[in-house]
Amino acid sequence: MAESKRSVPAAKRRRMLWIALAFLLPNIIGVLTFTVFPVVFSLLMSFTNWDLTQHNMFKDATPRFVGLDNYVELISGDKFLRFFGNTLFFMMSIPVGIMLSLMAAILLSKNVRAGGGRPYAWLLATAVLVASCAVLAAVGLGKTGMTILLVSTAACILLAGVTGGLTFYRTLFYTPHFVGGVATFILWKKLYGKDSGPVNAALQPVLDVVGSTANATPVLFTVLAWLGVTLLLSVLALGLRRLRIMWTDGDLGSSAAVLPVILMLIPVAASVLWRFAEPYRPVLVGGTGLVLAYHFIYAWKASEKFPAPHRNEGFGNGLVLSMLLMAGQFILLGLLAAAGNTPGMAADGGLEAPSWLNDTRFAKPALMIMGIWGAVGSNSMLLYLAALTNVPGELYEAADIDGASAFQRFWNVTWPQLAPTTFFISVMGVMGGLQGGFEMARVMTEGGPAGATTTLSYFIYQEGFETGRLGYASAVSWALFILVFGVTMFNWKFGNKYVND
Amino acid sequence: MGFILKYLFVCVLLLLVVASLGLRLSFPGAQSDRPVIYWVTDRNPARELQVATFHEWLAENGHVDERGEPIVELRLDVANRDTTKQTIQSVSGVGGDLMDMPGQVMWLFRAMGVIEDITDDARAMGFGPEQTYEAIQPEITVEGRQYRYPANVTVPMLWVNPDTFRRYGLEPPPPRWTWDEFEALGIAFKEAANPPGTPASDRRFILSAVDSSLTQMYRSTGLSILNETLTASDLDDPRYVETLTRLHHWIYGLNILPTPDDVQAFDAAQGYGGVSLQLFNRGQYAMVSGGRWLLIQLRRFEGLGELSVVELPHRDFPNSLIATRAVALYKGSKHPELAKLFLAYLASDAYNELIVADADALPPNPKLTATDAFLRPADYPSEWGVHEAFVDAAQTIAIGRTYSPYILPTVMERIRKDYADQYNNNMIGAEAAARRTAEVTDRRIADNIRRKPELRDAYAADVALQKKIDELKEKGEPIPEAWVKNPFYREYYRQTGKLISEESTHG
Repeated sequence: MAESKRSVPAAKRRRMLWIALAFLLPNIIGVLTFTVFPVVFSLLMSFTNWDLTQHNMFKDATPRFVGLDNYVELISGDKFLRFFGNTLFFMMSIPVGIMLSLMAAILLSKNVRAGGGRPYAWLLATAVLVASCAVLAAVGLGKTGMTILLVSTAACILLAGVTGGLTFYRTLFYTPHFVGGVATFILWKKLYGKDSGPVNAALQPVLDVVGSTANATPVLFTVLAWLGVTLLLSVLALGLRRLRIMWTDGDLGSSAAVLPVILMLIPVAASVLWRFAEPYRPVLVGGTGLVLAYHFIYAWKASEKFPAPHRNEGFGNGLVLSMLLMAGQFILLGLLAAAGNTPGMAADGGLEAPSWLNDTRFAKPALMIMGIWGAVGSNSMLLYLAALTNVPGELYEAADIDGASAFQRFWNVTWPQLAPTTFFISVMGVMGGLQGGFEMARVMTEGGPAGATTTLSYFIYQEGFETGRLGYASAVSWALFILVFGVTMFNWKFGNKYVND
Repeated sequence: MGFILKYLFVCVLLLLVVASLGLRLSFPGAQSDRPVIYWVTDRNPARELQVATFHEWLAENGHVDERGEPIVELRLDVANRDTTKQTIQSVSGVGGDLMDMPGQVMWLFRAMGVIEDITDDARAMGFGPEQTYEAIQPEITVEGRQYRYPANVTVPMLWVNPDTFRRYGLEPPPPRWTWDEFEALGIAFKEAANPPGTPASDRRFILSAVDSSLTQMYRSTGLSILNETLTASDLDDPRYVETLTRLHHWIYGLNILPTPDDVQAFDAAQGYGGVSLQLFNRGQYAMVSGGRWLLIQLRRFEGLGELSVVELPHRDFPNSLIATRAVALYKGSKHPELAKLFLAYLASDAYNELIVADADALPPNPKLTATDAFLRPADYPSEWGVHEAFVDAAQTIAIGRTYSPYILPTVMERIRKDYADQYNNNMIGAEAAARRTAEVTDRRIADNIRRKPELRDAYAADVALQKKIDELKEKGEPIPEAWVKNPFYREYYRQTGKLISEESTHG
């Protein structure tokens, strides 16, 4: 290499360098002008009192350096924390989105075309859907034209899939990604309409049935709620048991176990604050205490028998496990509260489909559902699809020889092989989640009702462009950057470890 | 390979240069031999005619060059009406010469110093505040200085379809009515028009969503959003609590007014009136709220019979809001003198006749409202009797919104809406909503005073004045007119005999 470098005359090398720079110059100028300069400038702005009402080309005053005032205001005020809370709430949909995009990718990696898969099964499913459609029409539910429309659409999709195969389904799943954001939001806004929206048109008949069942047999729902309590405590116990086994096996260090344990206790802590879970609070708290005490005593007694691993060992594995279980616990908590409160609500005028976008309790979940829909057919799915094709076939063959079930194949072969992809998607998802929510808030709810859907990015817009406080808005942006950076570093440090584990 | 790439690069560069030149030459401004000014406005087909008429008006009034052509060419810019775009463009020196904007944006732009003070030119060129409705002053002036001139003026009223009421054996409401009368008629209408088992899609309401109803309602109790000197919120008051609870009861309790969900469902196709008017035409709404501009759509409905207009219901003090789509002159305009001609045109008969003819709200110049063309349009006899109701309201009960130099109206409105939403979502009570609205508004005012030293002296003087006003109020004595800066209280105190004019004070 050095030889060939020496063989090129210096003049020619210089000429080539200039040509290369000429090619690169437009990009370099673009990056410097539209990325580097605004970033550095916004950092400086965040330490000033720049306010458009005082400082612009038509005013004589110049922005003044105010040190950390903007950051102090940000931390001492309630708005930043409130909207940061909203942002974190929306981010709870990220694991669900990842999970569903993985499921979609796995489904889309199977061949379903007639002749190549199981066409008769698909045709049968289609026939069942068409028949359901006819039955719905016959029993009167067909009056809700939307029900017919939804079922017929599903039937058409199945039919098209049978004939078009994977290409059709892959295109269909990817559709949300290439449909324009604002158009999608307007569509969802219509879908969420309380009285005329298709979501509630489909949901209300179901709620009517649930309501009449709850009125007839309220005890059934009480049993379901307590079943939910039992399941939630069981999930907690299983999670702690799994962590304990990892610890005794030397796969999880003492320090590394702290955060996963705390994460698994969050749903129970949330139940203490949530009024809908009030009747189950004593049992949940008491049960959690017992489960926790049992595992701690066991671990304490066993500590001498097992060699303690390095204190940070296995943090990534513990974290992933606890996050998955935490998501499951939250779902169970929601379901048990819903089951427990259903008889009361049903008796009090029946169950009514929610006002998705105008009720503070439902506005966030409504936007989360929409976000999950978008996430399923996104780049995550494409990345998983690509990663799935890279899983070595011999690993599956070895698993088959060992007699692994389908789940064991997934858990012991597919999932570990996809770990780098999952890590990448998680990092990007968290970064996007912290920065996101602006378009949704602006188009669908204007940040309302009562600020329930205002995220940090929308807050930056409000402060910067509606009130003109560019200095303060820049401080919020940089606080957001610090959060994104911190979370990414955390992911990088422990996620990489998890991938290597 | 490097050789080919080099020439390819040069070819692409040349192509881009040629394309850039071509683009520059195709700019509209480059094709005109006259100065070009831009009017940032909405996408209304009527604007084309208004621009053409402006060019004719220029010629008729001698504003022509040596060839007899109008001295300026006005072009529409309908792509930059969004407030955020206007803000960014204005502070960057590339705003439109003339910009349509609502009142709260004028206060923001005036605070930013990006719109021209046109007071002196307006007086000299005949488009001063005296050339339009007195009630609109707070919308076009700040501290006695004029910053805009109206392109139209709107007073929200209730359009009534008497046939819908009569169909259910009810009499249409009187021109002026109270909250209790509205509630009674609303209940009667709901019961008569919605027999048990009526599906949601066929429900009938006495009234569509009421634009700005909350402001009009608490003002009808004698209360304003800010105090007399505009230095603090006045909403921590039992009258605001009463207004919140009453409106909540009408919407969520009695459901004689549509909920936000109903509004969202009905307003699928927005625009001039949206779907509400279709429902009004079909008898699903007995009344719709809006200004005279609703006629743009209503005139398209065949078979819509006699119409009437009544005031929004009041508690004690009949009042109405008044708003305007007014035009401001950008401080960075390259042709400010020419742009001012357009503002003069807005006050002219030529422009006002267009507004009269196409029913785009009220013409900015009130003298045109006394004509037959306005009161009794030959093509629309069913409207006779309707038009004067809007003019009467504009000249008698209309009062502009309350703005303060110490807090931006957008911020104030966001705070108010935030707590009203919390109340409507049963997160807090009405008393707490009122208290917190006032507390947070006052805190934001204090923050502004701390951050903006130039406001401190005026604020301190106003706070001192407010103390004196409060003392007089406590003693039950009248307040000097000059002390009251809030236009609502000035009018309210004047009508209720609690104000002494400056002459009396001097006397």
